[in-house]
Amino acid sequence: MMTENLKKYRLTSEEYELAKKSLGRELKDIEWPLFSALWSEHCSYKSSKNHLKKFSFRNSMTPDMDGENAGIIDLGYGEKIAFKMESHNHPSFIEPVQGAATGVGGILRDIFTMGARPIALANYLCFGEKSAPRMNDLMSGVVRGISMYGNCVGVPTVTGQTNFNSKYNQNILVNAMAVGYFSEDMPLALSKAKGLGNYVVYVGAKTGRDGVGGASMASASFDNDTESKKPNVQIGDPFFEKLLIEACLEVLKLNLVVAMQDMGAAGLTSSSFEMSANGEVGFTLDLKSVPLRDATMTPEEILLSESQERMLLVCEPKNYEKIKSVFSKWNLDATILGQIHNSKNIQLKWGDEILTEIDPNVIVKNAPRYDRPFEKWVNENKVEKNIEPLKKINKKYQKENLNWIYNQYDQRVCARTAQACESPIAFVQLDQTKRGLAIAVGCRPEIMKMDAQIGALDAVYYPAFQMALQGAKILAVTDCLNFGNPQKNKIMSEFVASVEAIAKASLELNAPVISGNVSFYNETLTENIISTPATGMVGIRDSVEDLIPTHFTSAYESVLCVTYSWVQSYVYVTEKENQVAQFNLDVSANVPQFIELCQLMDQKIKKQDVSISAIRSCGLGGIELTTQKMSKDLIIFEKAVELNSDYLLKDQFYQFLLTTTDVVGVTDFLNEHFKNLKNKNQLFKIEVVGQTIEAKI
Amino acid sequence: MSKKIGIVRFLGTNCDADVMKWVLGSGQQAEYLWYQDQFNIENFDQIIIPGGFSYGDYLRCGAMAARSPVMKSVSEFSKKGKPILGICNGFQILCEAGLLPGALIKNESLKFKDEWAELIVAEEKSFFGKQMKKKQTLKLPIAHGDGRYYNTGDGLKKLQDQDQIWLKYQKNPNGSLLDIAGITSESGNVFALMPHPERAVFQWMGSSDGVYFL
Repeated sequence: MMTENLKKYRLTSEEYELAKKSLGRELKDIEWPLFSALWSEHCSYKSSKNHLKKFSFRNSMTPDMDGENAGIIDLGYGEKIAFKMESHNHPSFIEPVQGAATGVGGILRDIFTMGARPIALANYLCFGEKSAPRMNDLMSGVVRGISMYGNCVGVPTVTGQTNFNSKYNQNILVNAMAVGYFSEDMPLALSKAKGLGNYVVYVGAKTGRDGVGGASMASASFDNDTESKKPNVQIGDPFFEKLLIEACLEVLKLNLVVAMQDMGAAGLTSSSFEMSANGEVGFTLDLKSVPLRDATMTPEEILLSESQERMLLVCEPKNYEKIKSVFSKWNLDATILGQIHNSKNIQLKWGDEILTEIDPNVIVKNAPRYDRPFEKWVNENKVEKNIEPLKKINKKYQKENLNWIYNQYDQRVCARTAQACESPIAFVQLDQTKRGLAIAVGCRPEIMKMDAQIGALDAVYYPAFQMALQGAKILAVTDCLNFGNPQKNKIMSEFVASVEAIAKASLELNAPVISGNVSFYNETLTENIISTPATGMVGIRDSVEDLIPTHFTSAYESVLCVTYSWVQSYVYVTEKENQVAQFNLDVSANVPQFIELCQLMDQKIKKQDVSISAIRSCGLGGIELTTQKMSKDLIIFEKAVELNSDYLLKDQFYQFLLTTTDVVGVTDFLNEHFKNLKNKNQLFKIEVVGQTIEAKI
Repeated sequence: MSKKIGIVRFLGTNCDADVMKWVLGSGQQAEYLWYQDQFNIENFDQIIIPGGFSYGDYLRCGAMAARSPVMKSVSEFSKKGKPILGICNGFQILCEAGLLPGALIKNESLKFKDEWAELIVAEEKSFFGKQMKKKQTLKLPIAHGDGRYYNTGDGLKKLQDQDQIWLKYQKNPNGSLLDIAGITSESGNVFALMPHPERAVFQWMGSSDGVYFL
């Protein structure tokens, strides 16, 4: 019986002993699922929490929101932003459409449960080779899921990144990010339950059997049998989510709510236990009152269901009827499940029968912590090997058109979008001050594969650099740390190196990591994914009206390349050819300073009327692929005759291209602007690499 | 003189706030109209039915919204010959309500499509005729999964004979018959289009051609 329970509820025998010790007695039947869910890696962060403390840096714009659903940035002038990124890898691999859709739904709820109106979505996707089993279905399914959900709730998907690598053949990554906006008159909602006698109210969709045990499923590695895990995947209904957004924001605006928390992973269990633990008050919870889709559900299933589009809120009894009428206007239920009482315990009831009474702190705050073994990082993968220079650029180095993905996302609903998926980063206009909010995601698996530390630094630097080129200053970071099995020393070492690198870069750029998520066990039959610490970030620019385009705008202009050599690599080439890459790192480079100068450059260009008509960072595949991406309306790139193909394909971090009709004037301007970098070392370089021409049809 | 515009909201409408912003920004007055309520048609000079996913597109796009109480007033409003503009889901709802002929079915690609579309004004109709001249080209964004205009052979002929084809795509994005992007009613007071003029109000949005629609 005991062994069976340990297996069924995915607890180790040590964890079981800890649970027993915390309670001071044997576990009751109903308590097994509670410990299973809340002590899962997914909910408890037991392997990562000790390292996540390294993200504690905050600045004057980022209040400490510890324990809340998302991080907050105070933009001044009454405007605030909430944002977060979260993984939905395991469900998306099992059932791509619903897995991805509910990933979007879940991250949106994390945002509006705080009182913010969701204004933008972004995503970070990693797929395997197209020839891998199920991969085409997984790709089209994930895109359909994201598109179906985001479009219907009316939140634009404004940017994203899609990677392909054989290391994701058996474990794809689906990370969704949501950004929410507070205007002056929108109150911030917290998850701390308080107030003796206040009601605990269930709102939103009814509870069904979908997603039962999802949190613990997501905390295990995959075997061959993903089919049998399908009932663990939740089913999403974006129409319900839209109604829930409107109803929740309405009751918050009317000041009818004391605390609010969405039901995410581990559903009613985690939301109620967190509200109770955060507020340090206990309450009763009658599971029999929970609105059900299937009346035969057991208390255990009700506790663990991950049915979507549900929230728990606490209100004063006098406001309940008003809340109920707002929700009923939006066709939603609002049902009282219990009341805050004198003790700190949560009392789970089934009608009049008391199932158990338990102090949430025993579970939430006494959750196990693991110091998994890891090694101090050494740059082991930097193999230097000369690669035969390429004589010609052939077809395989041509940019892959991913418009079939982005064209399925509604990018302009909300009428705030100034720049979306056609560019490397997005800009939306803020309602009150009309400033531009820049949104980007980052992390290049090809670089992570070479070196986790450099890859993780780059995951912050590179999107910040892309923002800077268009004049936006990075404000804060969220991350979604996708890793393999943390019980393996190599994986844990990469995890720690990544966390430390992201923390370092965020401190250097004065952009705190204010929210995030860890997804371990991205492992199938001992094959681990590339460690992938995906990042999301927001930045700010004074307006969206004078953004320099990221595409060529006219023919017969010179294309200038500005390089600040931090790392040189042949990553893109080798990814296709499976060769060992050349990877050179210059430790004397001051990347944060370069990024800051790029951001200041945008203001100077405007003020001094410098003639620059397009600007864009060079990504993997160097100048060659970047100029392909910049081509638009039949205006294409023609390389300078003296440059060879090898040079054009080499990746230099960091490098950007710009177009101008005034090479001399712009070169002088750049030399002057970057003079501090230039004097220090030889890393800085400006050169003409070609011109724009009209394509022959 | 500033007009008073009624903006209809159903459960699942998601371009209501965008349309409100657009209308107020142009100096007109506006008020939301809730789907469960009928309204006094004398109080409004024009009605706009914005886009979105009313009722989550359950049953058929627009089918349930077309049968809600507010549409009784919209229908009366139409009978008086007063102007009604439907955008995206609003177009689908007007077809389902029988205020416009034909239907909007799934895009030929079977996929949702978001992109910029070049349109051509096919007819100068009375209401928008002042702003939009025949053969004028416009750039507006589309974002829909069910935007393929469909009608029977006779129905299409009637549309052509009565100059009811209002806007056409220069490059057909969804397989709609005769490249139709927007049509008007026989009476000439009900207008609808799949593209979103409220998302093209300023140059920074990518186009400001939406101004012709207010």
